[in-house]
Amino acid sequence: MTAGRDFQPASFRDPSGFLFWHQGQLYRQVNEPYREHYEQLIASGLYRELAAAGSLIEHEECGLELARTPGACAILRPALVPFISYPYEWCFSQLKDAALLTLKIQKTALEYGMSLKDASAYNVQFVKGKPVFIDTLSFEAYPEGRPWVAYRQFCQHFLAPLALMACRDVRLNQLSKLHLDGIPLDLASRLLPARTRFKFSLLSHIHLHSRSQKRYEDKPIKTSLRNLSRFSLLALINSLESAIAGLRWQPRGSEWAEYYEHTNYSDLASDFKKKLVDEFLQLLSPRRVWDIGANTGIFSRLASARGIPTVALDIDPAAVEKNYRQCRLHGDDFLLPLVGDITNPSPGIGWANSERMSLLERGPVDTVLALALVHHLAVASNLPLAKIAALFSRLCRNLIIEFIPKSDSQVQRLLATREDIFPAYHVQGFEAEFSRFFDIERREPIAQSERILYLLRSKTAGEK
Amino acid sequence: MRFFKNGLKFAALVTSGVLLFPRHAYGYIDPGTGSYVFQIIIAAFVAVSFAVKIFWHKIKGFFSRLFSRKER
Repeated sequence: MTAGRDFQPASFRDPSGFLFWHQGQLYRQVNEPYREHYEQLIASGLYRELAAAGSLIEHEECGLELARTPGACAILRPALVPFISYPYEWCFSQLKDAALLTLKIQKTALEYGMSLKDASAYNVQFVKGKPVFIDTLSFEAYPEGRPWVAYRQFCQHFLAPLALMACRDVRLNQLSKLHLDGIPLDLASRLLPARTRFKFSLLSHIHLHSRSQKRYEDKPIKTSLRNLSRFSLLALINSLESAIAGLRWQPRGSEWAEYYEHTNYSDLASDFKKKLVDEFLQLLSPRRVWDIGANTGIFSRLASARGIPTVALDIDPAAVEKNYRQCRLHGDDFLLPLVGDITNPSPGIGWANSERMSLLERGPVDTVLALALVHHLAVASNLPLAKIAALFSRLCRNLIIEFIPKSDSQVQRLLATREDIFPAYHVQGFEAEFSRFFDIERREPIAQSERILYLLRSKTAGEK
Repeated sequence: MRFFKNGLKFAALVTSGVLLFPRHAYGYIDPGTGSYVFQIIIAAFVAVSFAVKIFWHKIKGFFSRLFSRKER
């Protein structure tokens, strides 16, 4: 019953409990001090309502013999989230949906005499295309009169990044990677355009809020301080809800979002490639797929349509936004679009570099799709083919990868403004480097183009 | 009369929100002094508009009910 390596490194700040792994299963230990809150969550029917609505992750109660430390009052086995993603990997609408879910849960909790004791964006994950609250221990009994302890956290984790994305630049979501407890409000206030001071919701919850933080810095709360009625608390939640709902961002004018309208692919070549990728997927029948450089997810959908949990990673927030909106529109349960740069993947961050996992830690996966990607890595990012092949060998067992030769107009475009320092960038070089890690199972030239689609299988597949 | 009563109820609620007795906040995260103080001020402020909003919905509801009754 001692702390071991099976402890989940993201859950240690809250003394109410923690997550741990046991025989390949994830469990949550609930500690004695949290007992009354947990019991209220279950007995009041709040858990049932939220779980039935798909807002809160479902769990089963297990025996206490699994407890990892003394003082446990319950052991839960929560449903597994297929892929853990982080707010700095979400597009605008994903973060917005997560924010609205958090507020909806807080409102429902208040109806049952409970309140959220934290409002961290890391408490939300995407499951079957929808945001789901995953921290069962975030609920506490709500005594009438108490303000919302998580108000500051909500503003920092959700409102500030969304306002920055909507009103300044969508790329500012990356600030969440630097500030694990959300974007400091004074920073958000400085970065937001002056016009946001004329918008009541942002003037109050960000600009004036940040001023108040500055003013009361290092001052304890005075005992004479007044409390907050339930009605005022509800009004505050409603105000935050309309602040979030009022923030909008339209994906346009970015480099990749209109990619498919500007490629040199003929319809025939595109259909041919789709058919081929689909055939390869059928052959492999992978359990999980990552599509790297997925753009708006046209090819990712070939995998998700087969019921394969698929992550569609792209560097462009506009393409990811379009992809996510499409998933929402069509109810795609198996596709998770995320913002990410494979030349600089999400690192392990937080305490001991292990609180939030790096992208590579979340792999390897059965199959990676890398379509129209290698020329960007090799030519635009100066990455030697040997390095590219080595990275893919760490990411996956099987690789569906497209090689685009120098003669292709897309590569010519990349070379137009720079010296060609890539003498090894040719199909023989590509095959030689990738053959060090993979066996070439299929090699199919794409009709009406000079491109080649490969199906590669890892030479060390058994070890992964 | 009903509107008047509702109005009084909202006023009482808002006032109680501002005048309730003190209680220390607790939790495993720090609510932040400035955020705590600001939340109480801004909540009292938005409570008024929230009350008006609910009040307005009730007025609208009253007239639409009246209207539909007349139509019948």
